[in-house]
Amino acid sequence: MQPISKPNGPGQDAAEPRLRSRTFTSMGTVVSLAIPAATRTAPQAAVEELEAATAVVEQLFTGLDRTFSLYRPDSEASAMARGELALRDASVDMRRLYVEAVHWRSLTEGAFTAERPDGVVDLAGIVKGHAIREAGTSLLALGLKDWCLNAGGDVLVAGSPTPGTARPWLAGIIDPEDRTTLLTAFPLGSKGKHALATSGTSERGHHIWSAGLQSARDQGFRQVSVAAADIITADVLATAIMAGGAGTLTLTASRWDVDVLAVKNDGGLLATPGFRKLAAQPS
Amino acid sequence: MRLRAGISAALASAAILLVGWQAGAHVADSNASAVTTSSTGDTGGTASGTGSTANGTTGSSASGSSSGTGAGSSSSTGSSSSTGSSSSSTLGASAKAGGTYAGTAVETRFGTVQVQVTIKAGVITDVTALHLTDQEQRSVQISARAAPLLRSEVLSAQSANVQTIGGATYTSEAYLTSLQAALDAAHF
Repeated sequence: MQPISKPNGPGQDAAEPRLRSRTFTSMGTVVSLAIPAATRTAPQAAVEELEAATAVVEQLFTGLDRTFSLYRPDSEASAMARGELALRDASVDMRRLYVEAVHWRSLTEGAFTAERPDGVVDLAGIVKGHAIREAGTSLLALGLKDWCLNAGGDVLVAGSPTPGTARPWLAGIIDPEDRTTLLTAFPLGSKGKHALATSGTSERGHHIWSAGLQSARDQGFRQVSVAAADIITADVLATAIMAGGAGTLTLTASRWDVDVLAVKNDGGLLATPGFRKLAAQPS
Repeated sequence: MRLRAGISAALASAAILLVGWQAGAHVADSNASAVTTSSTGDTGGTASGTGSTANGTTGSSASGSSSGTGAGSSSSTGSSSSTGSSSSSTLGASAKAGGTYAGTAVETRFGTVQVQVTIKAGVITDVTALHLTDQEQRSVQISARAAPLLRSEVLSAQSANVQTIGGATYTSEAYLTSLQAALDAAHF
């Protein structure tokens, strides 16, 4: 079904160890953890290590989802949305993340927001990034040096797919015009950028509110990818640029050390130098 | 002597105010078509309110025009506002003739940024970048931070050559038919 040809098959360079990955479902999407199968470790031990690490990450995601999901009637976030729980009485986690989201709203001059138009606190734009960040901290604490965590298309990496080398993880970026092909790829881990987040309309199609606003649609973006040092910055800024358009893109590129690839509604691309072919080619 | 000095100082600040006000008005005009809105719009609109501090007027109007017509980056705004204050003493004398004023260098994430403002008849006619480099020679980012590019200009990639796939968040159902699912299956 997919144009995958020999991914890490037997014919490949022996210096490149094969990757193993495990997945689980959380926050309405699928999370994948991949680590290079170490050559020195016995295969069975490596699989056990990966599965133990995946269990830790899954537990973390499940716990955060239980607190922050607006789809769970019994979550703290749902109680707040119903007006049964005030922010000042909420858990430390909730208040901390809210403060962080409000800080980002100010940094992005309102393009990123933690509140729905009806005033309900909605941290959905930052919860997944927060979960990825916490998972990454846990993986490092477990002693794992080389891994790639992908939560629904947002990616955080550590180390290299070839342990002990500087070779970056290569993250393909989906072409919103054709989701079975890649638009380009970005080397994660090089130049200190370990996180890649993408925001877009490609999964759900165009929002209805943009219909009829022809000029806004022409200038708007269909998909925005941001590579940054950390996943929160990448995630928040990708969301902010999707919402704020070209103005926020300019603000973002001047204020943060990030690389941005934006696909416009007319199919054109806008990119910072990091996404250009020569800069992106791993040396 | 003291009286003359006082009068000429008053004339100078009046001239500065005039320059500032005209520059501010010009800023407001130029910004009508520019992307920048709130902060620069205020500059033109509050010309009367800025009368209390002459330097402030000059500074803020210069910075406004920089973000509207200049290098286009918010980082250069700071340096051009210092243009106004540093050159305010000479502005008074040469307000009618205008002139070219260099701002002080300001450190940004792109390295040192310095701009030059040209004023003719009290109107800022040009803002140019004097110094835009850093260690990595990324100066081009200032003027083309997120530039248009062709698909052939990005790194071409096939799913067989990447370790993971980034994209807008997919649902659990959409994952089943995604490239990431194919990669995960291959890596099982």
